[in-house]
Formats: sequence, structure tokens, C-alpha cells
Amino acid sequence: MKRFVLILLAICLLAGASPICAMPATEDVHTFTLKNGMKILVLEDHAIPNVTLQIFFKVGSRNEYPGITGLSHFLEHMMFNGAKKYGPKMFDRVLENAGGSSNAYTTENVTTYQDWVPESALELIFEMEADRMGSLALDEKIVESERGVVLSEYTTGYENSDYELLDDQLRSVAYQTHPYRWPVIGYESDIRNWKRRDIKDYFDRYYAPNNAIAVVVGDVTLAQVKTLAEKYLEPIPSRAPPRAVHTREPEQRGEKRLFVHKDVSSPHILIVYHVPETGTADYYALDLLSAILSQGKSSRLYSALISDKPLATEISTYMPNALDPTLFYVYAVCADGVSVKTLEKAILREIDNVVAKGVTGTEIQKAQNNVVASFYRSLETMSNKADMIGTYEIFFGGYQKLFTAPEVYRKVTAMDIKTVAAKYFKKTNRTVGVLEKSEGK
Amino acid sequence: MILKKRRIRILCLRIFIMAVLGTWAAVGCLVMPPGIVNAAQRETPSFKLPAYEKITLKNGLTVYLMEHHGVPLIYVSAVFPAGAVRDAGKSGLAYLTAETLLSGTKSYRKKQIEERLELLGVKYYAYADIESAGISMSFINTDQDKVFPLLKEVFQDAVFDPAEFEKRKKRLLLELVQEKEQPSMVIGAYFNKFVFGSHGYGKPIYGTRASVKKIKSIDAKAFYNAHYRPEESVLVIVGDFQTARMKKKVQELFEAWRSKKKPPPLERIPLPAFDKSRVLLVNKSDATETQFAFGALGIPRNHPDYVAVQVVNTVLGGRFTSWLNDELRVNAGLTYGAGSSFNTYRDSGIFIISSFTSTDTTVKAIDLALDVLNRLHTEGVDQETLTSARNYLIGQFPPLYETPGSRASLLAAMFIYGFDESFVNDFQKNVENVTVEEARKIIAKHFLEDSLQFVLIGKAAAIRDQVRKYGELSEKDIKSDGF
Repeated sequence: MKRFVLILLAICLLAGASPICAMPATEDVHTFTLKNGMKILVLEDHAIPNVTLQIFFKVGSRNEYPGITGLSHFLEHMMFNGAKKYGPKMFDRVLENAGGSSNAYTTENVTTYQDWVPESALELIFEMEADRMGSLALDEKIVESERGVVLSEYTTGYENSDYELLDDQLRSVAYQTHPYRWPVIGYESDIRNWKRRDIKDYFDRYYAPNNAIAVVVGDVTLAQVKTLAEKYLEPIPSRAPPRAVHTREPEQRGEKRLFVHKDVSSPHILIVYHVPETGTADYYALDLLSAILSQGKSSRLYSALISDKPLATEISTYMPNALDPTLFYVYAVCADGVSVKTLEKAILREIDNVVAKGVTGTEIQKAQNNVVASFYRSLETMSNKADMIGTYEIFFGGYQKLFTAPEVYRKVTAMDIKTVAAKYFKKTNRTVGVLEKSEGK
Repeated sequence: MILKKRRIRILCLRIFIMAVLGTWAAVGCLVMPPGIVNAAQRETPSFKLPAYEKITLKNGLTVYLMEHHGVPLIYVSAVFPAGAVRDAGKSGLAYLTAETLLSGTKSYRKKQIEERLELLGVKYYAYADIESAGISMSFINTDQDKVFPLLKEVFQDAVFDPAEFEKRKKRLLLELVQEKEQPSMVIGAYFNKFVFGSHGYGKPIYGTRASVKKIKSIDAKAFYNAHYRPEESVLVIVGDFQTARMKKKVQELFEAWRSKKKPPPLERIPLPAFDKSRVLLVNKSDATETQFAFGALGIPRNHPDYVAVQVVNTVLGGRFTSWLNDELRVNAGLTYGAGSSFNTYRDSGIFIISSFTSTDTTVKAIDLALDVLNRLHTEGVDQETLTSARNYLIGQFPPLYETPGSRASLLAAMFIYGFDESFVNDFQKNVENVTVEEARKIIAKHFLEDSLQFVLIGKAAAIRDQVRKYGELSEKDIKSDGF
């Protein structure tokens, strides 16, 4: 645990000694809010002559309902297909001609647009983002061809990932009420049937400046960003805030089980437990526990199930960032000749062991050291910095938390980890999914 | 789950995905707001590679040192001439050797290595690709004296414990079956084998079940003794350190390392030449979509046309607005993504166009991709399109070498493929030098459209008769061992 203090001290010394030190701190992030309610976060970074703009809209598949599942993701596609000034295909053409590139992603919780450009194209991206945010076209013909693109994405996802198939089916079982129960890409029948009107309504409801934040990191000045944000983004009118997602998942009342048939060579198993949303008190202990269970070859599950006894070919644990209570995932694939029953037993034995006996001081220290190293690695590129600032602002209650995270993780004790393990890793709180060739008798 | 709109799958078999490979391509840009046209050219200062020092130790080991003081991390990338081309009849041996390199040395057992590195938050992995093998690591700079001595032993005294070796081998045997369940993961291996045949570049990196079964830990030990040698290897260190001190440390630690054995000469099998188109149809009987790739031989990494080829490929299939993606995805809605790339090796390379689509639109999509390639030859690239592609490559270039990790990979690639920092420092100039006329020559010379080689993975019964038209048809089942 002392390592932390030493490391933090080392950073400060370095920052003082080296004029080009790019290690950012809380006070390096500048924020301001436009009159329409859109918050802008800016970090100057002059390492390379580039800049990234990332706009996070607070909308994802959790805001959908049956009939329009997948619409958040589809709208993300349509945002590249024409607005008032920059018509169909123009967004990408103009951006790439100016030396920029862009991407976007949709999760259950957010839809994020990312632009990476040479600093000379800064004004252009503000103008183009404002254009599509303020007046998206939603051309009827393009809706149809884009439907084909998304159906191809739907097919290729399941064709190439057994995990995706199992995860999507398992969530439909683990959740009884919450919108996290359907996949981000949506149900196939919804993809085939939603109408332009549905997309327009959805856009009007959620793509408001007061429902978004923008993060700018790169070779720019705060004053430059402020001028451009006021010029292009501020004129977009704010809207009535969208209705909050009020559906809450009721407490699970006993283990649930799922079987998925697929002609695969080795069975896959996915075990999930309900856990609270990101950033809550138990989050940090659960996150460290996830690292202790599966990060690296010396982790509990890897060494027990892969290194010591060859029971699995891969094993991982995972807890997604989520605005509402979510799931803690344990995923594994059986080794040759190992039955899924045997693997399940072995995984549960390791988990029960943590519940009963807790974890060691060395394990906690290792997990904490990895948090610090990952923290540094996450701040190496402009793009990652923007992503981290936005993620902390949305999921952790403020970008400032990014810089205090190592400290918060450092305070987690062995007792905290044992307590959260006992609280959440219970049979009644668990759902087990198996994907295998044959269910047997 | 995260769904991304535009990530395109581009086939790339190598770890060192150089510079602009694996990015995207463009259609001309017409309406531009005043004052923004060519902004990229006008203002962006040219990006230069920071200073580094290159030294050769007495044992022949080449070392590159580059300071990078953003975050308190050090990146190490060591590369050995020990890739799959050296497998010499034991396909998968280079890979298994790399995979078990960190499973024990003279004074550390596998668990001790893992526990020591992971306790410090070190990120580390060993790998093998077609031409080389390597170890990459990153760690907090204050931990260097705990990490380097261990690395020294890995270079010189790895033990290849038989029990650990067998465990890894057993997992690999299953992974070779599992990877066939993801067509996008294996189409590259089929393609390289189909194009390069018995040449080293056709060898599957992970081997085949039949070959892997026969490999023993003593084979890995012998392979290590012959190919993990200082004379042809490189050690790159980039990060938060002082060069003079690091130089001294490197000399103390690595100068005593001696090669144990002379390596056997590399098999010299001539590169293939094609006088007709061929089609390999790989049957996956439960497939709902077809993955396809077609192309021809390309260029080696140090080819003088390398940058010009990237410029033209940006137009064809190297970015989101590339002609391929625009036609197949944006206009026709047939796929989530289509693209092209030049995968380059030391002595050769491949030019490959790839995409995927529903089983019933297979021929429609391939025909469209062929039309696009043909259009490149008949219409060429106009000035507007060319300017856009050049701007794109120049604007997207600096982030490729933003991190100490990517700079370490670049320095290692310079050593392996025999180029220098002028690649970075003259990149903008070389991109801007590609004219419409030059692009026309590049297309004729490198974007071959005759005697194309096709690999399709999909439901053979549904598409067999229609895909015959592309060339001489042969078939395999995806469940059969190998490629």
C-alpha cells in the first residue's frame, strides 16, 4: 500500500522537473456550460498537432421499450447520413478531406460520437457536430439502406461470437423488468419494422444539448474552444429533459438457469450476479475483486482453472459501466474433455472460497498497483483522455473522480471485499447460462 | 455490450500493423465551407519522430533508446528472428515457443514470473507472427530494477518445462478447433495459405492440429537456442528514463548474452506466380453469411512505392468513405463494412479486398467489389479525391505514433524491415508528392485485377454454383484440420 504514496510523490517531482510532463491533474480540466445547458470539458494537450472532440449523449438501449429496441444504435448510424448543411455522405467526406476521422458507439447507457482531427480542422468539427445535432435529416431512402447495414451487423455479430449470443440470451433471463434485458443492437423484428417517425421522435426526445456533454482534448486553447462552442453549439435550443428511466429490477428470488444450443466444439458458461450501478460505495471493492479473480495469470480463477488444473481455455470477469444496477459477469470456456458441470462447480468453488475466507493483502496490493498502472496507461493518448474524462463525468458523478480514483481504490480493505462478495455472490442472486452442442438427457 | 458503428474488419495477420495499414479510404469531396478547404495541408506542422539513440552491443544486439516523459512508464519491446517462417516443417513451433517463453527460467518458475510481474502492475506478453517473435512489456519506471533482471533471464535462460509446455499445447489444440467457429478470425490464415502455398508466408502461425500434436518441449528449447540470438534481435526501450543511465544498464545486463547455436539457413522457396484466377470455397454448413477475401501478391514493407500505395489504397478501401465501403455498405447496404489493405512482409506482401454479407447476397457483393476495383483502373483517381486521401493520411498520422508503446513498435519495425525515421519525418512530403499521374502508375503496377485469388467461407451448398465463375474452384470444410 505504501507504493501508492511513493508513486504519487514521484509524479509530482516529475511534473516539477520536466516542463513537457503531460500528466494531467484535476485543475487542468476546464469546464463551462452553454446557455442551452450543454456542458463542455476541455483539456489542453500539445503533444501532437491533433485534437479529439467526443460528444456523449445520455441515451442508450436503457431508454428504449419493446417495439423500438435497437433504435439508439440505429440513430447513431443515421447521424452520419445527412443533416441540413452537410447532406448525405457529406459528414464523412468533408471530415476525411480535412484530415479527420470519426467513429461512434452505443451502449445500454450512452451514445458517443468521436472525432479525431488535425488541429486545423477544429472549427469544422464544431460546425458539423452542431449541424447534425441541431437539424438531422433522416432521409427515408437512407433509413432503408442503413437498415440493411444494421441487419448485417446483427448477423455478423452472432455468426462470429458465441459469447455475444450467450450474453444476449442470458440477460433476457437475468433481468425480469429492466431494459438492460434486450441487446443494444435490438430485436431483429424491431430492426426490420421501426419507422422514420419512431427515429424522429427518439431524436427529438434525447438529442438535446442539455442531455449531452462534449469533451475536447488536444492541441487547442480553452479560449478557442469556448468561442467555437458558443458560435456553433449554443444556438441549438434546449429541450424538456427526457423522462428518467424509473424501472427498477426487483430482487431476484432464486437461481435462474438457461441453455442455448449451438454447434460448438467446447461448452461456454456465463454466470452473472446482480450488483449496483457504477460509482456506488460497493463498486470499487467489486472492481478490485474482479481483478483479483481474473486479471493476469496469477489471478485466482486463471491459476485455479487454467494453470493448475486444465479445466478451461479462457476465463474472465467483467462489470460494465452502468447508470442502473447491473451484472457482474464470470465467463469461461471448457477445456478439451471437461464437462460444463465440472467447470461450473470449480468456478463456484473459487467464488465461495472468497465469500468464506476473503482475499489476501498481497492480492489487494496487486489489484491496486494494477489500477495505478492502468490509470497511467489510460492517459497516454488524447483519445483515451477524452474517453476517461467523459466516462467519469457521466458514470462516476464528475470528471474530478478520475483523478481521485487511485486514492479511493487504495482505501478498499480485505474486509470490504469479503463483505461485497458475501452480499452479492449468492445463489439466489445468480443466473447461469450454458451454450453447448447438446443439452443431454 | 458496445456496438460500434464503423469499425471495419481488415485482415491483418501481423502484430506490427504498420502505420496506415488497417485504416480506411475516399470519394471526392465537393462542397467545402470557405476557409476550411485543405486546412490540413495549410496549417498542420509536420510531425517528426523524437530523437532516439541506436547502439549495438558487443554481442551484436541492437538497442534503440527513446525518452518519452509524459507518464512514468517504460515500454520494452524485444523482437527475435523467430517467427513462423522458421517453423521448418513443425507448423506452430514458433508460436508455442513464444507462448511458453515466460513459463520458467533458470532461477524463476512460471508462477514466480507471473506473480512478480503482476504484483507490480506490469503488462506483458510474448507473441510470434509470420517473420518474428517478441516480448512486449510496460511498467512503472521505478520498478525497472525488478523487471530487467527477469527479462535478461528470459532472453538467455528460458527452460521450457515439459509439464507447462504440454498444458499450453493441449489448450492450443482446442483453440485450433475453436477459432474455426469464428470465420473472421481464420479467413486470413486461409488466404495466406492459398496465395503463398508452401512459401513461408503461407504457414499458419498457430499451426495445425496434426503438426502441433507432434511438437515437444525439447523442440521449443532447440528452436529457442537457434533463433533467440542477439545478432539478429532488437531491444527497444521507450519511456520515462535518462538515456545515458539506461544505456549503461542495458550494457551491464545484456552484453554477456551469447547465441547458443548457429541457426539453420532459412528455407528459400520461390514466391508463387499466378496465371489464372482460383477460388477456395470453405464450407461452413451452418453459416448465415459469407466472409470473403480476394486479392493478389502485394509489396514488401521496404518497397519504395510503400507510401504511394497507401495513398491509393486509402481511396480504394482504406477509410470509411473509401470506394469499397461506400459502394458495398453505404449505397447498397450489403454489409457492415468493406475495405482493402496491403499486408507487408520482408520479402513480399499481399493485396487483399475483404468484406462479408448474407449468404444470399454473396455474389452481388463480390461483383460489386470487383466493379470497384475495375473502376480504379478505368477511371483512375481524380485530383479532388487524391487531395482528400492525402489530407486524410497526413491528418491521421501523428496519433499513430502518439504513445511510447507505438513508438517502441515503430522502432522495432524499422529494425526488422530495414527502414529509418525518414519514413515518419518525410511522410507528409512523400504523401503530397503522389500526383494523379503517379497514382495511375501505382494502380497499374500494384492493384492487380487479373488472376485474382478468392477465399470464401460460407454455406457451400448455397453458393457453390454461383461462385464458380470467379475461377478454378476447390473446396475444403472448415472443420477439417489446417487451412
